[in-house]
Amino acid sequence: MRYIKLPSENFEKFFKSLEAWGTVYAPVRKGSIYSFQEVHDPSEMALDYNRTMLPPKKFFFRPKEAILRLKNGRWEDEVEAEPMVLFGLHSCDIHGLKILDRVYLDEPADPYYKSRRERTLIIGISCMPDEYCFCKSLGTHFAMDGFDLFLHELPDGWLVRIGSVRGHEIAWENGELFEEVTDEDLANFKEFEERRANAFQKELPQEGLADMLDLAYNSPVWKKYAEICLACGNCNMVCPTCRCYEVCDRWMDAYKAVRERRYDSCFMENHGLVAGGHNFRPTRLDRFRHRYYCKSYFDPSAGYNCVGCGRCDEFCPAKIEHVKVLEEVRGSLK
Amino acid sequence: MSENPYQTYDARILEVKDLTSREKLFTLRFLDPEVGEKFEFRPGQFVIVDIRGFGEFPISICSSPTRKGYLQLCIRKAGRMTKFIHKMKEGDIIGIRGPYGNGFPMEEMEGSNLILVAGGLGMAPLRSVLWYAIDSGKYEHIWLLYGTKAYEDILFRDEIIHLLKHGEAMNCSVKLAYEVESPSCIYLERGFSDRVCRGVVTDLFRGEEFDVEKTYALICGPPVMYKFVIRELLDRKLSPGRIYMTLERRMRCGIGKCGHCIVGTSTSIKYVCKDGPVFTYWDALSTRGLI
Repeated sequence: MRYIKLPSENFEKFFKSLEAWGTVYAPVRKGSIYSFQEVHDPSEMALDYNRTMLPPKKFFFRPKEAILRLKNGRWEDEVEAEPMVLFGLHSCDIHGLKILDRVYLDEPADPYYKSRRERTLIIGISCMPDEYCFCKSLGTHFAMDGFDLFLHELPDGWLVRIGSVRGHEIAWENGELFEEVTDEDLANFKEFEERRANAFQKELPQEGLADMLDLAYNSPVWKKYAEICLACGNCNMVCPTCRCYEVCDRWMDAYKAVRERRYDSCFMENHGLVAGGHNFRPTRLDRFRHRYYCKSYFDPSAGYNCVGCGRCDEFCPAKIEHVKVLEEVRGSLK
Repeated sequence: MSENPYQTYDARILEVKDLTSREKLFTLRFLDPEVGEKFEFRPGQFVIVDIRGFGEFPISICSSPTRKGYLQLCIRKAGRMTKFIHKMKEGDIIGIRGPYGNGFPMEEMEGSNLILVAGGLGMAPLRSVLWYAIDSGKYEHIWLLYGTKAYEDILFRDEIIHLLKHGEAMNCSVKLAYEVESPSCIYLERGFSDRVCRGVVTDLFRGEEFDVEKTYALICGPPVMYKFVIRELLDRKLSPGRIYMTLERRMRCGIGKCGHCIVGTSTSIKYVCKDGPVFTYWDALSTRGLI
């Protein structure tokens, strides 16, 4: 890894230089929530944000998009994506994208996702956890890769980690904006990271978690929460790693149709439905449990399918807390 | 070929045949001979059928790769999409992409006995195995145990009756169980009293013993059928690793993206579309919700 320093006074210039790479999207405050939006001026950004409602997955795997267009009886596709710069991603969201990559870039790769991913610059930014964050428990509170540049806040600027060749290129082309990192910067970086590590309020103990949950398949806790749950699917929409989609064809006029896909939710009753009306997850309990198992799935080479961003808690209208559910389920094994 | 895995390939409907009042057999051929040439599949794999402007649905292939030049799909009228395709005629064009899934490990089973256990529409994917096994001649003996509701519901009835009569010459024994009595069934039962009976598919195991060291079982049927059939097989000491079953889920993409076919829990998650649809009973034991 190469480390450089971006002094505060050069930040605006650096930010402006990114526009040469593509449209810049960054967190913006909208009422009481944050959202990744197109930004032209650093003053529009809210870099001290906690989390956006929709994670950055929306740029690669769209809430609704046309995958094929029917013209003259043939399907045509538009795979080529516009270049983008995603500015100010938190470490958990970078990990979320890595989990989506495992699915969408696995052969055969999803061409839409892949094209957007290849044409997007990822610039991470350091953050302070709030009451919903539990990324530290899952090891996703620090990104070691998956970004081009990562900015860590210092009292007088930013310590920049360069994570890719494109990251090097940006630093190279804007050489006059950066400085060497000093011992004082390193001390500040270390102090910030320590302060951050101690700021987490929520913890998800991991020891044997996957097995414990599996063993607690019939726990009454699932039932208790399934009764509180509204099955609205909000948690699926805001989750940086939920990626189910549904497809449908829609006619534009008598000659043209589109094949669209849109976010789907495993809380919807028809998610487990097959031809002839049999449903593999007929009850809300089945569907509730399924989501928790999918998120808590432990891949020995890649970890959990959850990055601890806290969105599902913050945006749950029934105030169900992910960690609390898992802890109670595990606790019910007595 | 296109780089886009969601693109489908034109196929012409060569023939539409009524199998029952609900199921039709569609015989297809790719318009582009090069696509047809490249389209290789194994028994147990499925394709995604694309009716342009109306949608897509997954269907298992019911013809055998030993019979080249065409592709057959047995489609039950079950919903909006299948109702639409049932109205299509010879000469109409549909889209096909695939083949998807792992299919049955036919090479691994060579030289062994095969017990095919089919329930209802489960006969469709197993027909691919059946003809592959008979045509290739690489298997010791093939049993087909087929459970159906009524005489009118027997899929590929002509082929089944032909095999009842002449199967032994092809090393194939067919046994049939039906639930609803009818004159046709009674007639069949009279003709093949040792092989046709009223009951469910597990009744067909009665009196059957097989060499567990040299036998594989391949199962496909409605969800409720699996555990009863598996019990019969385990009672006869067949190893769970020799019990293969093919499963149904509502796949949208077929390539492990859309998430509709995910099953399992925190210790084991499987995509039915790419990890399956063929699984062994070991997989079922380690993946909750598989069957």
